[in-house]
Amino acid sequence: MTLHFFVNKRPIVLETSPDRRLLDILREDLHLTGVKEGCAEGECGACTVLLDDQAVHACLTIAAQLEGCRVTTIEGLAELGELDILQTCFVEEIAIQCGFCTTGMIMSAKALLMRNSHPKEEEIRLALSGNICRCSGYVQIVKAVQRAAEELEAKRTCAV
Amino acid sequence: MKLIGKDKPIHDARGKAAGFVKYAGDVTLPNMAYIALVHSTIPHGCVKEVRTERALGVPGVYGVFHCFNTTARTYNRYRSNFAQNLPGEERVFTDYVRFVGDRVAAVAACDQETADKAARLVEVTYEELPFSIGFDDTLSGRNCLAGERPVRDEFFTEIGTQPDDDGLIEVTTVSEMPRLHHATMEPHACVVDCDPYQQQLTVYSPNQAVHGIRLVLADFLEMPYHRVRVVKTTMGGSFGAKQEWFLEPAAALIAKTLGRPVKLVYSREEAMVCSVVRGAMRGEVRSKFKPDGTLISLSMDVLLDAGAYIGNAADYIRALSGKPFRCYRIPYFRFCGRVISSNTPVSGAFRSWSAAEEAIMMERNFDEAARQLGIERIELRLKNVLLSGEADRKSGVPLENIRVRDALEQGRTSFRWDELVQADRAFNESSPRYRRGVGVGCGGHGNTYYPRFNDYGEGRLGLNEDGTVQATLTLHDHGCGTVTAMRMIIAEVLDIPDTSVYLAEGDTAVTPVDYGCFASRTTFVLGRTAYDAATALRDEILDRTAELFSLTRGSLRLENGAVRCRDDECVNITLEQLAQASMLKLKRNVCAQAQFNNTSNPGVTGVHFAHVEVDTWTGFTKVLDYLAVQDIGQPINPAMCAAQIQGAAQMGCGAALREKMTIGKDGRCTESLSKYHLFLATDLPDIRVLLLSDGRSEEGPFGAKSIGEISYVPAAPAVCGAVNDALESALGTLPYDPDCILKYLAEERDS
Repeated sequence: MTLHFFVNKRPIVLETSPDRRLLDILREDLHLTGVKEGCAEGECGACTVLLDDQAVHACLTIAAQLEGCRVTTIEGLAELGELDILQTCFVEEIAIQCGFCTTGMIMSAKALLMRNSHPKEEEIRLALSGNICRCSGYVQIVKAVQRAAEELEAKRTCAV
Repeated sequence: MKLIGKDKPIHDARGKAAGFVKYAGDVTLPNMAYIALVHSTIPHGCVKEVRTERALGVPGVYGVFHCFNTTARTYNRYRSNFAQNLPGEERVFTDYVRFVGDRVAAVAACDQETADKAARLVEVTYEELPFSIGFDDTLSGRNCLAGERPVRDEFFTEIGTQPDDDGLIEVTTVSEMPRLHHATMEPHACVVDCDPYQQQLTVYSPNQAVHGIRLVLADFLEMPYHRVRVVKTTMGGSFGAKQEWFLEPAAALIAKTLGRPVKLVYSREEAMVCSVVRGAMRGEVRSKFKPDGTLISLSMDVLLDAGAYIGNAADYIRALSGKPFRCYRIPYFRFCGRVISSNTPVSGAFRSWSAAEEAIMMERNFDEAARQLGIERIELRLKNVLLSGEADRKSGVPLENIRVRDALEQGRTSFRWDELVQADRAFNESSPRYRRGVGVGCGGHGNTYYPRFNDYGEGRLGLNEDGTVQATLTLHDHGCGTVTAMRMIIAEVLDIPDTSVYLAEGDTAVTPVDYGCFASRTTFVLGRTAYDAATALRDEILDRTAELFSLTRGSLRLENGAVRCRDDECVNITLEQLAQASMLKLKRNVCAQAQFNNTSNPGVTGVHFAHVEVDTWTGFTKVLDYLAVQDIGQPINPAMCAAQIQGAAQMGCGAALREKMTIGKDGRCTESLSKYHLFLATDLPDIRVLLLSDGRSEEGPFGAKSIGEISYVPAAPAVCGAVNDALESALGTLPYDPDCILKYLAEERDS
């Protein structure tokens, strides 16, 4: 099939089989290796990306589902070496260790903050419950998302 | 101190947050072949035939490699230094399969999809043999490995004099622990590049010992060591899973045969079944106490299932026999360890190298003893833990400023243990469904190989032309901040910003020969090496400054990245000026080297506390509160230490309540994360951490001790103790998952 969709705001036209995984399209065809493969069955969340602003597992999403859609990967958040607020909070709150879960974790958190600007701790934990981190006890990760929500709110208030 | 004790993110945190950092699986080289492995589908048997025609017929396939067209030479996956006397027991592709998952063949192709497709077309014919799936099969005499006894190794040791039993209370507990998966989020991977013209192999792999891989590959492939270069790549977690070599030999052999780069990335299924697991263990502990709670005698009989290859099992079981002496005072000790084989995944290194299993057995026994003696659980431990100034009785090494007693006392207060005990009692009396309990776990560990063998490290530092520092140590950051910690140590000594230090990780072409980053030796041994190298560089800087600028050596000091003079405040020579002046005038670089010979191994301990609620209807246990108290000495980077400790608590909660790999009657093992239940963000409370820093080590950098492994040791015992407290039970088989708890409750009702 000829697939037309957007990745990180860029229009993409790709000749691919309809059952090809989004994970392979991103990693192999588009070289977006920030998307990780940890289990290939939707259990670990390392491959989480946004599909029309919803967090999805790229390992369980296939080309046939993508026509006309907007895909955002971790590479779509930072611009020319500048991290966005959520990424910065992950760095500064010491929420990153081995880093293999980090990109998927940040994308799940991003999806949460896009639909809920004042998440409670339970809501953050629930939003991240599809992402496994083996290095931490999730404490700093939750704090990073909490702080990002606060900073984003402060930024919105300043803008007003 | 300006840097030590400050919170810093891991050195590559920004790149990781951006998805920019490359792991081995992200690397692509020109003309690279992708490998897919073919594994045994039977637990035990001989390969009679491998048919490759259909696989070779797939366009894009470069070759099919199997037991009948590759070398019969063997290697040992566990070998990591030349002094180990280990037999080669593994072929790259075997004609005698020992478990479901043994390597039989591999396909190399133009892309992963093609390799995977062709691998499914390789036809293997087996002659099946009887097999064992664990202790009961093997000990009942089921033949599981041709030519080998069911009990592969036996180890006995005794310390002290057997006491007179008069008046002593004997407490016996039996514990059984299942196989565990490390569950590193990054599955194993490696890329091997081959230069056929220089006969050079370059291996890129996330691993804990670049020189270990070099040694095994070079010997296996009959190449000189300098022709094998191993580069440690960013590691997506290890916990011991990446300290044995099971995919590098296959990848290297294929790269060398094809004369092109290859990439081999394990799937999750392969990472679970075909790498290493924490071996299943069964142990009986018999302790004898005086009525006042003083431990007089400890006897342990431990069985370890090595799985299909013996790997590290003989060392692992011996290591266990030394662990009790890192925490408790034991006048008489008797240990019998036996290693069995079975046709199951291979046991190997796992965080704490048996200390976690030892602590589960030991702490369960202490809880039971407390009940039988009528002594409060923390009081019983306080009576028997080692105190500052005592020695490890097994090795004879002084434990220096061990602080396990303080950890127990401070944790008791901080956790509000006594209040929780009272509150739980009231809660349990009023709740028909839920039961609450608290648990405590103690444990000790080491910081180095010493005195098992003489540990040492080498570090080289030098000034660049602009005054920044180039550091060379053989480091393997697992993701816990090793590089950052070393930069902080070096920068603290030189009084420069840590960002002015560049530190490469392990690369056999660049960094000195080293044992590798395990045994919790990184901060203690290599950190001290970094400290000594920085001190030597500081001396060199002052010597060269005195020489070049005609100043008195004794009046000089390093301050804020410049050399200052006590006698003349106007002297302010930057490291850049010095480096350039030395090059131009003295015709030499400002550099230093240090070799640190380690001769101590202080007591490093932890005490964890857990509060749980068990749902007696579902058997599900919720962790309500958790406190980890670690006797860490000087923490170099407290926030990264805390993050690592919280991860250890998560892993321990998993071992206590959920995690197990089961072997089916057909010999197939758990092979999916959907059936291996890890703790998620919704499952855990805000894990609290208390670092006790006054028990400083004498040799560690700035008094630091280890943290990576010790933090895991007390975790599962604390959670298990809490569940047993809640249910007034003495459950022996881990994990205490809903099946286990409901079975126990049903038996209780029936009795």
